Amino acid sequence: MATTMDRRRLLSTAVLGGAGIAGATALGSLAPEAAFAAEPVKIEPGAPDPNFAEGRVTSITGSVVLLAGSDGALHRIQVTNGTSIWKFQPTTFDRLEKGDGMYVRGVRLPDGTLAADSLWANIVNLTAHIASVGRNVLHLDHHGKRLIGHVVPGTTAAVYNGTPAISDVSLLKVGGHVQVIGAWHPDTNEISIATVYAAN
Amino acid sequence: MAAVTGEVSWFCCGSAWGPCASTGRGACGTCTSGNFQHAWPNASQACLDITRPHVCGTSLARRTCGFVHYTTNLCNGARVGTSIADCGPQTDLFCGERACCGSSCGTNRIIDLTPAAYSAIASLSTGLRPCSVDTV
Repeated sequence: MATTMDRRRLLSTAVLGGAGIAGATALGSLAPEAAFAAEPVKIEPGAPDPNFAEGRVTSITGSVVLLAGSDGALHRIQVTNGTSIWKFQPTTFDRLEKGDGMYVRGVRLPDGTLAADSLWANIVNLTAHIASVGRNVLHLDHHGKRLIGHVVPGTTAAVYNGTPAISDVSLLKVGGHVQVIGAWHPDTNEISIATVYAAN
Repeated sequence: MAAVTGEVSWFCCGSAWGPCASTGRGACGTCTSGNFQHAWPNASQACLDITRPHVCGTSLARRTCGFVHYTTNLCNGARVGTSIADCGPQTDLFCGERACCGSSCGTNRIIDLTPAAYSAIASLSTGLRPCSVDTV
């Protein structure tokens, strides 16, 4: 008789197994979009998602990240070899630091630990107006507060009204409305811009 | 309601860190980044006066706080159910904008999901995806 093993059980086994953390790599390579389609969502609309956490990193010990949630909750995050990590761009576990802000999606284990499938450090998604433009920098007005958005040559991408992303940000205009996906510089009003979506 | 096709993005709300810390609990007073919730452009007349999807040729039904929509990511077929907790996105500011995955496209921003909900159907780093939204 064929034995099936769902993703939760596989991750749990991998994390709790002790010797060597295999985690999501045991599932084989999944393209990013396929990974998010791999398991149907079963959470009640409006309800908190137990498989999601957010907060600031208070410590990193081995492969465990402790998060202080913005609502006061504490989260223990187990990072595995298969955890997808983003910090301005896809990156590795060693780039995470105390003080980083974080969103994490994974599988909640019986002991309350969240085994991370995906982890986004310092990611922000902001709508803003461009107040001024400098050399490799955009000054952004976000809900009445000024943000400094750093353009990173070779990495920052611009999308003009749905056209394919390009590296040229020179078409951005002062007064224009933009959506910015970027990485916050902790405890500052600065971000590095990953993608800027420009409106008409 | 027939499914509406457009674009989906995400937004933070409730207790938060960084630039999100100033965003508050949304128009319904219940919004939390970790919950399966969303913003809807026609959550009230006052909301519609701001978001103005009709200017872009998109007609969206009036749905108020707590109403449940189901959003499907047209890039991978993943689907999530969420309830209305805020007003948005401001559709008119991105009128005519189009997001595609291959031949699957969506035009105009019609829904914003919380990080918990968006990350259930796409990576947060994608920022914008074509989607369909329905009520069942």
